[in-house]
Amino acid sequence: MRYLVLAVCVTALLACTCAKEAVKEGVVITVWETYNSEERAVFLELVDRFHEVNSGITIEAVNIPFDGLEPKILTSLATQTAPDVARVDVGFLPKIAVRGALHPLDEYGVESIKDEIRPVALSSCVLDGKTYGMPDQVNGLCLFFNVDLFKAAGLDPETPPETWEEFVEYAKTITDRDKGVFGFGMRNSLWWSLPFIYSFGGDILTPDMSRCALADEGAVAGFQFKVDLYAKHGVEGGAWRSGGIRDDMGFQNGKYAMIFNGPWAVKGLQQAGIDFGVALIPSGPAGHATNVGGNNLVVFSTSEHPREATKFLMFIASRESQAKWANELGQIPVNVLADELIDFDSHPYLGVFMEQMKYAKPRPQIGGYPEIENDVNPEMQAALDGKKPVLAAMKSACEKVGVVLADEEALKASFKE
Amino acid sequence: MTGSEKTKRPVQPGRWARTAVLYVVLSAAAIVVLFPFAWMIMTALKQPGTEFDPEFFPKQPTLENLKRVFTEFGFVRYFLNSSIVAVSSALFATLFASLAAYAFAFKNFILKEKVFAVIIASMMVPGLMYVVPQFAIINRLGWMNTYRAMIVPHLANVFGLFLLRQYMTTIPKSLIDAARIDGANDFQVYGRIVVPLALPVVATLFLLTFQFHWSNFLWQLIVTNKESLYTVPVGLSMFKQQHEQLYALKMAASAVSIVPISVIFVFAQRYFIEGVTKGAIKE
Repeated sequence: MRYLVLAVCVTALLACTCAKEAVKEGVVITVWETYNSEERAVFLELVDRFHEVNSGITIEAVNIPFDGLEPKILTSLATQTAPDVARVDVGFLPKIAVRGALHPLDEYGVESIKDEIRPVALSSCVLDGKTYGMPDQVNGLCLFFNVDLFKAAGLDPETPPETWEEFVEYAKTITDRDKGVFGFGMRNSLWWSLPFIYSFGGDILTPDMSRCALADEGAVAGFQFKVDLYAKHGVEGGAWRSGGIRDDMGFQNGKYAMIFNGPWAVKGLQQAGIDFGVALIPSGPAGHATNVGGNNLVVFSTSEHPREATKFLMFIASRESQAKWANELGQIPVNVLADELIDFDSHPYLGVFMEQMKYAKPRPQIGGYPEIENDVNPEMQAALDGKKPVLAAMKSACEKVGVVLADEEALKASFKE
Repeated sequence: MTGSEKTKRPVQPGRWARTAVLYVVLSAAAIVVLFPFAWMIMTALKQPGTEFDPEFFPKQPTLENLKRVFTEFGFVRYFLNSSIVAVSSALFATLFASLAAYAFAFKNFILKEKVFAVIIASMMVPGLMYVVPQFAIINRLGWMNTYRAMIVPHLANVFGLFLLRQYMTTIPKSLIDAARIDGANDFQVYGRIVVPLALPVVATLFLLTFQFHWSNFLWQLIVTNKESLYTVPVGLSMFKQQHEQLYALKMAASAVSIVPISVIFVFAQRYFIEGVTKGAIKE
């Protein structure tokens, strides 16, 4: 009996492993992408169009879970089994680029399309003067507000707050602690604090990227303002605390009247039947500002067909592809020439998102950015909790950022040798 | 309280109260454990977009999520893949571990104790350290995108070897000797005496390895580049996208994914509990 079971298993095992690969002709470009099911449908249509005009090149798209992409890429790089192309987060690109894992695309004609690409998006692909990818998605935070809560507080949803002073005023009017309703809900992390820091004239690093700027005047003032929203003005509901109601959930449940969020949140909120508006993030002493997020398509240095791969990247970033992408998914086109082709009637918020991108500022292009987030976030948390004064927190954050910058220099030097 | 008191006084108010307290405490613990599962099932029945409405029972319960999981998201295939991987891994890992344990418990060979010590010491290395070298080997063998890649690297189970050997050493040597005198060879001793006696522990090991492989994520993610080979945990992670989580769908798929483990556990419960306590005492 035992041997019978064994025999069955062995046969099953062998039978299962005999899957055959179909042999494809011409150049095959493997793409690891992390699109959601709607984006993937549009992406595959674009792939079909690409095949029509480029016979001889076959794009093979593999859908990878978003959370699994980075470990998978790192493992594949260690064993030289990376795909030709992958879609990576803008914050991840420098990390692999400084380690020599990406193919610079400048020699394959990306110059011709560079002028058409939204500058903030393009800058997230450029490192030390070389272009390591083509943006396929760009976005930044905007101010979302709940129309019903505005009306209930006697505020006009047609005129959302334009400056931080107005913002605090609005938030105070709405906040009703007895009902658990707050004017604002926010997250703690460096990236989510950037709109505050930038609009007060601060930055993460100095422009030459030589030194941490978080303890400088602008950044401290911006972050102090964020802390004050909770501690001094009492208009923030503690969404950033562990165990607090998260900003997006509180917004959906009518607990927070305003939150920061991006284009990706629109569909979910519409589905949930929330009446909401989107506005520019209020302006501070340094005017309007926001951060930049998104994804870039990159070509790995192990790819045998970088020229064909680049051709595909440029096709995705082209005016026609981006117009289709924007109109079907309500996302900001990375190609500015596509702007005039957008149907703003079906995407009422897209105009605001695109307007906001004019004031967007990319993060410093350094490989250690994820470490900077990890180092700075606990310090910011301590300041929000009132355990540390803002300046002291920012100073100790800067000490840690200094270590990251030094490591980065050492790493770059080791790869140049 | 002594045994004689127990027989003399059949009704004890103190005992009744104690039982009541015990039941209350156990019920409370059961609720704590089961509540997340209940929440998962309730969320699975909610309309997408209403997952965070502050209500336990959905206002408009729907089976649409469950349907979409199997029609739009290919979970039929993922379940098939997971079953193949988890069942064969658990079967073979248990088989090999028990064979090795038999050798280490009853046979004599050169450097036996030292070899065993080295094998046990390998348990100290965190599992993640093996990922890249194992991946490199699988890749050189050309096993990428196969079931083999998901199954074979985990067949040597040191923990299982240790567990089974420790248990087997408690089997009286005289029993083995008696079988040998009756003319049984090693495989007969192994199959007819040792494994039946160690069955609770063997079953426990099978369950634990099955559960491990059923929920293994990282390895199965990195050795597959094809959706047709994705397993359930990899499929589940597809519901977490960059900016949004499809909670209702995720919960619907999760609710189904615990069914095999629950069923196997219910059937093997007797062995499982016996096995956990059996290994603990060495007589």
